[in-house]
Amino acid sequence: MSVVVDEPAVRDGGGTSRRRHGRTLTAVALVLVFAVFPLFMSPFANLQVTLILVYAVAILGLDILVGWTGQVSLGQSAFFGIGAYGVAAGAVHGWPVWAGLLLGTAVAGVVGCLVAIPAARLRGYALGMITLTLPVVAVPLAKRMEAVTGGAQGLNVTIVQAPAWTGLAADQWRYYVVGVGAAIVFALAAALRRGRFGRAFDAVRVNEALATAQGVHVTRYKVLAFTLSAVYGGVAGVLYVVAVQFISPETLILTLSISMLAGLAIGGLRSLLGCVLGAAFYVVVPNLTGSVSAGQSYLLYGVCLLVVMLLMPRGVAPALGHAVRRVANRRERAAASGE
Amino acid sequence: MNLLQQVLDGLGSGSVYATLALALVLVHRSTGIVNFAQGQMAVISTYVAWTLYDAGVPVWGAIGAAIVLSLVVGALVERFLIRRFEGGEPLAAIVVTVGLLISVNGLVSLIWGTVLKQFPSAFPPGGVGSGSGGTIGYGTLGTIGALLVVVLALNWLFRHTRLGLAFRAVAANPESSALLGLPVGRLLMLGWGLAAAVGALAGCLVAPKLYLAPEMMDSVLTYALAAAVLGGLNSALGTVLAAWFIGVVENLAGTYVSFVGGDMKIAVPLVLMVLILLFKPEGVFGHKEVRRV
Repeated sequence: MSVVVDEPAVRDGGGTSRRRHGRTLTAVALVLVFAVFPLFMSPFANLQVTLILVYAVAILGLDILVGWTGQVSLGQSAFFGIGAYGVAAGAVHGWPVWAGLLLGTAVAGVVGCLVAIPAARLRGYALGMITLTLPVVAVPLAKRMEAVTGGAQGLNVTIVQAPAWTGLAADQWRYYVVGVGAAIVFALAAALRRGRFGRAFDAVRVNEALATAQGVHVTRYKVLAFTLSAVYGGVAGVLYVVAVQFISPETLILTLSISMLAGLAIGGLRSLLGCVLGAAFYVVVPNLTGSVSAGQSYLLYGVCLLVVMLLMPRGVAPALGHAVRRVANRRERAAASGE
Repeated sequence: MNLLQQVLDGLGSGSVYATLALALVLVHRSTGIVNFAQGQMAVISTYVAWTLYDAGVPVWGAIGAAIVLSLVVGALVERFLIRRFEGGEPLAAIVVTVGLLISVNGLVSLIWGTVLKQFPSAFPPGGVGSGSGGTIGYGTLGTIGALLVVVLALNWLFRHTRLGLAFRAVAANPESSALLGLPVGRLLMLGWGLAAAVGALAGCLVAPKLYLAPEMMDSVLTYALAAAVLGGLNSALGTVLAAWFIGVVENLAGTYVSFVGGDMKIAVPLVLMVLILLFKPEGVFGHKEVRRV
């Protein structure tokens, strides 16, 4: 990966008070819209938004590795699968969901760490090839370990039922559960990025030799980034089973890893909003292209991907941010000249 | 089954991986990008060859025409799509090749449908040897021979022509080459064009063994990627040896190790590749990267 120095880890939280005010208002409005959304929408729309949040968590995990630390991974779908099978197999054996969540994410983290310790020596495409092995091995393995994974049929589970007092339908309740889960891990990532770890990851990405000179233990932070990325993948897998109540080996194929990487590039690196936008692209665009023309859905999806990359090579979120800043600046100038 | 025959069959499939891996190396050397769409571009070239053959063109003519056409289209893809992402964020370039992969796959399904097609072999049926020694098919020998021809031709082009010299200069240092007056852009187009042509050959070699289908090259691409990375991504010799190694190991493990079986066959060379890369991170024939602060 080449050295790219652009935005700093710590975003400038300043700006005029008017702008800060506007930002808070926007955030409150977004949370409100998100909270009432499932009460008025169809179960299908609710499932779509729930899935966007699920994939956003997985893509955020990938961003920690690719965007923050400058590594590359084609293995995220394997960690997604570990988390999903952890909670689904636990549920089949009558475990509570939180135990399955712990098991799935812990195993994903341990596997991620074990892969990372030797792999941290590699960079670029060599690392990519090593991580590519994970889904290639994971899919036949999931088919073979029938006692745990249900083989090629996969596992059907019934978890996270809406409590009777809420009066909510299953899809609405799952939407809220996944929404709160995603909000927690997004907040954790944001806090991590702003602190010591975020700066250390930046240093590793920008220049390893310089990072070492500054007292950052490069290998340790690479392993940490890989492990965190795997844990986020595992959490996303757990949320996926909550959303669709099913997991099969076909879910963790290499194509999912590649799609997540594409989602990350489309949304934009080092941006929480970008992770959500990338996930939305992955979930929504195939539906749209499928409704335009079933036979040409795949072709249209690929063309959409290319067009977005051609128009916004750095991703949608940076392009949006740029546009918003321009409008805000223009307005401020207009207000200042009017005073 | 005879061991020698298994090894030779492995060399045969390894030669197909090597041909596609050489295309990956050509692209990487010229533009520093790993082209995930290389296999899919080979598929569409193979479909073009099939269409020509179906229309009555002799098989060698059909393959030749498809190779020439791929040369042109590959160069155009570099000029009008990839050029905008060279030297930018590497992830963007990777994802663009993924977008290309998806689009070409969709295009193939749209034009030719998803029904499997039988592709004619360019080599006669049957083979040499018999009895306890097993039979080495002419197809296998022809595939190995075709790879050797490609390697020798590329070697001649790069080592003994002015064009190859210019290409190597651009690959080594595009900025200085531009200052020397070399047409950098056109040479990059040549890199992608040659890669597409070599890929087209790989597609036409593998198609008679499998059926012609939009997903035909997916697993071949995985092996080719492994071979290219194992060979150091820049070395033709290293890539060919790595691909042969992968083909032979995969074939032997699938036949003789009962635990591996058909479904895990693909994992064996990959796991071996992981082990080798851990000890030789720059690949077996790659050069150590020197970094500066």
